Amino acid sequence: MSNSETYRFINADSALGEAAFRPYLPISLNYQNSSVTVSGLLDTGATINVLPYSIGIQLGYTWETQTTALNLTGNLAQYEACAIVVDGKIGKFDPVKLVFAWTRNNEVPLILGQVNFFMEFNVCFYRSQLYFEVSPKTTN
Amino acid sequence: MVSAELLNTIQKLERQDKLYLMQVLISELAQEESELIKEDRSYPVWSPYDAFEAADTMLEVLQQAKSQTDE
Repeated sequence: MSNSETYRFINADSALGEAAFRPYLPISLNYQNSSVTVSGLLDTGATINVLPYSIGIQLGYTWETQTTALNLTGNLAQYEACAIVVDGKIGKFDPVKLVFAWTRNNEVPLILGQVNFFMEFNVCFYRSQLYFEVSPKTTN
Repeated sequence: MVSAELLNTIQKLERQDKLYLMQVLISELAQEESELIKEDRSYPVWSPYDAFEAADTMLEVLQQAKSQTDE
């Protein structure tokens, strides 16, 4: 891919060896005057992006003022969630608006899913070689 | 690491012993694989599959945010 950046898979649990490598992407999230740099799990099976509660708080969001409630699926269905929009910056690429389901749960990793991370970025996985490439979407 | 001495010893084994050694190693590897998942631990899957209703709402919120930025 042209105009791409390359990242290594990260071993999330050394006890599990080869099975534990995951595609975590460093991403800077910005809201108003706050900025947080985190690692987002690239999850092509996730319908949506998910933001853990503590990171939303670090960015300066307040739970009580949120107006758009969401119903999530799977393990996340038991937690309240709402929609928030954050400016996300990856590597040298221009910032993009990312919409997250902000969940009242801190166990969940920051998930980058189909809506809307994979609508904004193309990703090519080379799992056997433990790296992946990311590039912004191309507009025709 | 497998030492050269060990490798040399293995190479000198009879065919039958080599086959036996191979079976032992395969069995050991299979056992290690099954032990990766512990019985007394839970492994939650957080990935929100098929959250289409939430995705639809989130796209609307995103569109509104982009419209406000453009104004």
